[in-house]
Amino acid sequence: MEKKYLTKFETAEGIRDGFKKTGYVCSRQVATTLYLAYHLDKPILVEGPAGVGKTELAKSASLYLEAPLIRLQCYEGLDESKALYEWKYGKQLLYTQILKDKLNEILDGAGDLESSMEKLHAHDDIFFSPRFLEPRPLLRALQQKEGAVLLVDEVDKSDQEFEAFLLEILSDFQVSVPEIGTIRAQEKPFVFLTSNNTREMSEALKRRCLHLYIPFPDVRQEKEIIRVRVPGLADRLRHQIVSFVHELRRLDLKKAPSISETIDWARVLLLLHASSLSASLIRDTLNVLLKFEEDMEVAGDNLHDMVRRAVVKT
Amino acid sequence: MEQMLQEFISALRASGVRISVAETIEAFRAVSLVGYAKRATLKDALSATLPKSLQEKEIFEECFDRYFALDRFSGDHGEPSSTAPEPDGSESPLSRMVLEGDRDGLAVAMRRAAREVDLSGIRFFTQKSLYIQRILQRMGAERMDGDIENLTARGDGSSRGKAAFLRQAREILYENVRDFVEQQFPLFSKAVTKEIMERYLRGVRLSNLEQRDYERMKVIIKKMVKRLNDLHSRRKKAAKTGCPDLKKTLRENVAYQGLLFDLHWKARKMDRPDILALCDVSRSVETVARFMLLFLYSLSESIARIRSFIFCSNLVEVTHVFEEYGLDEALERLQKGVDLGIRLGRTDYGQAFRDFKAGWLDFVTPKTTILILGDARNNRGNPETGILRLLRERSRRIIWLNPEPPTFWGIGDSEMKRYAPYCYLARECSTILHMQRVVDFLLKTKQ
Repeated sequence: MEKKYLTKFETAEGIRDGFKKTGYVCSRQVATTLYLAYHLDKPILVEGPAGVGKTELAKSASLYLEAPLIRLQCYEGLDESKALYEWKYGKQLLYTQILKDKLNEILDGAGDLESSMEKLHAHDDIFFSPRFLEPRPLLRALQQKEGAVLLVDEVDKSDQEFEAFLLEILSDFQVSVPEIGTIRAQEKPFVFLTSNNTREMSEALKRRCLHLYIPFPDVRQEKEIIRVRVPGLADRLRHQIVSFVHELRRLDLKKAPSISETIDWARVLLLLHASSLSASLIRDTLNVLLKFEEDMEVAGDNLHDMVRRAVVKT
Repeated sequence: MEQMLQEFISALRASGVRISVAETIEAFRAVSLVGYAKRATLKDALSATLPKSLQEKEIFEECFDRYFALDRFSGDHGEPSSTAPEPDGSESPLSRMVLEGDRDGLAVAMRRAAREVDLSGIRFFTQKSLYIQRILQRMGAERMDGDIENLTARGDGSSRGKAAFLRQAREILYENVRDFVEQQFPLFSKAVTKEIMERYLRGVRLSNLEQRDYERMKVIIKKMVKRLNDLHSRRKKAAKTGCPDLKKTLRENVAYQGLLFDLHWKARKMDRPDILALCDVSRSVETVARFMLLFLYSLSESIARIRSFIFCSNLVEVTHVFEEYGLDEALERLQKGVDLGIRLGRTDYGQAFRDFKAGWLDFVTPKTTILILGDARNNRGNPETGILRLLRERSRRIIWLNPEPPTFWGIGDSEMKRYAPYCYLARECSTILHMQRVVDFLLKTKQ
């Protein structure tokens, strides 16, 4: 059978260019992993510091494939009924109420209990049919006829049981609903799992996935990202912004500024019509980059040196 | 090529990356997709399929660079001084390759020889020269020696020149093979040596450990605490559910006309340990104290509610030291007693207990576990067993870890026999294994 999207996954370079058009600059490593994931039918487990674009990668993949993005946000206590499916209890109850009269009609003429039971069995599982099934993200991803991008976000926040339960879906792309049977994927979804490493994932889960670690980008790549995401920014300023952020990351901070914060900062500076970085400008807008009071103080102490280094380099 | 990949995977395994058979198959499929042509792509493909965490990625990087090192032959060790004489067809294949200056051929021959003598079986550095000899032999160095002898025997000028050239080349060849073995050795041996060391360290008495083992010990203890913590912080659903929560059930089921459709359960509270730890730092336990403190430090990193105290002639609280400083500095400060107000004179358990009673008795609740690390050698002072009894009554339990074996308890100035009756658990704790059992016991959720 011809695989879907084959043309979009012919080469790693093609993937790279395609993603760039959606506004995501990926490194060679990312592109190769995407290429492999498609051809090997494997989910990708994406790890890396917060804000390097793990979630963004999945979003861009959905744009690139023109497939719907189905997102499952994990949290402590997430269970099957929230992630996979649930019976619509309310609807079931409502329907039994409405259909009470109908029920009488059907049962009309049945002499005793046994024959009415017989009659009921003829209509057996109507209340446990797909119509009363409320699909949650995982099931919905399997049901998409045109394929989908499934993003299981922050899978490390979920419980161990849930992780075990994911295994069936990840390796066979199928789930079992006791009342209905096994539901297979119409078209295998493209699966991303992201993790912030709050806990170690189990071996079994890792074994089923390709592993991708996205680190903070180097200066060249980050400039490229800013160029794609914030068009209209002067080359010189862009260079200064990225150099300064890299200087910041070198400090001992509670939370180093992420790519998304760099992008926000670049937007802010664009809005302010800044043409070049200066210490006072940075001091005023530093709260876009740093989110902790202590970090602001640390950065403030070294501000002049850092600005000089970032600006002189241009 | 396939065998090369297989060997690379076993090298990764030997360096401590866990790779399952399924992942091996995956790696082969990935490589068949991207091919061997580009080194960088090959690396990316293998990096996506084999290592599955950041630490493993780092090991992978190092192994890949080492294993798939670009084979430069002879460059580093210089060239034979004269220009190569022409081969005349009577030489052995190895000599011919040397004479023709076929470096790639030599590199390939060396790799093949290494595979044939099973270099991946190398474990100890004492085996290095053995493997060097084997590889040389497999490459045909003996026949090359034969060539040299023949040429020297022939005695004419060109033959002698050739012999001299070959002799020089043979030295260089040896150097190259040695480099290669040196370079490959850590790939296959690292994990084994580490494993042996760790196993040995776990069983050895803490007081016999030497300074040089300290770094390794740190890693073991950290690993242990992390493992135990992982094990015990794992939430078990079964243990969490208690009796039905009537209020919540009624509220949730209003939607179903009050029919009890969807039951809700009360969650049982998790039993997280609440610990007060007292550690003796006097001279009699000097050698052990460092490890006890290290242990305490690791505990305080993983257990939220722990307060730590150290004592010698008196007792002081040191929780803040653990919180403020990094491991090494904290331990340094504690042992020297920097800014703590601790008097490092005669050990006085009685005074320590009196201090504790005066300052922190209020913090002892029926949920508290008191952990005492010390040898109970009180220099014949007042043991203040009364206070220990009081603590026992107020706390949940007292655990005493003594670095001395039970046969020494109560001998000389040891008060252990008097203290022991008030302890829920009094144990010898002189090796890492002992420690591990105690922590396991401490963290158990249900008691």
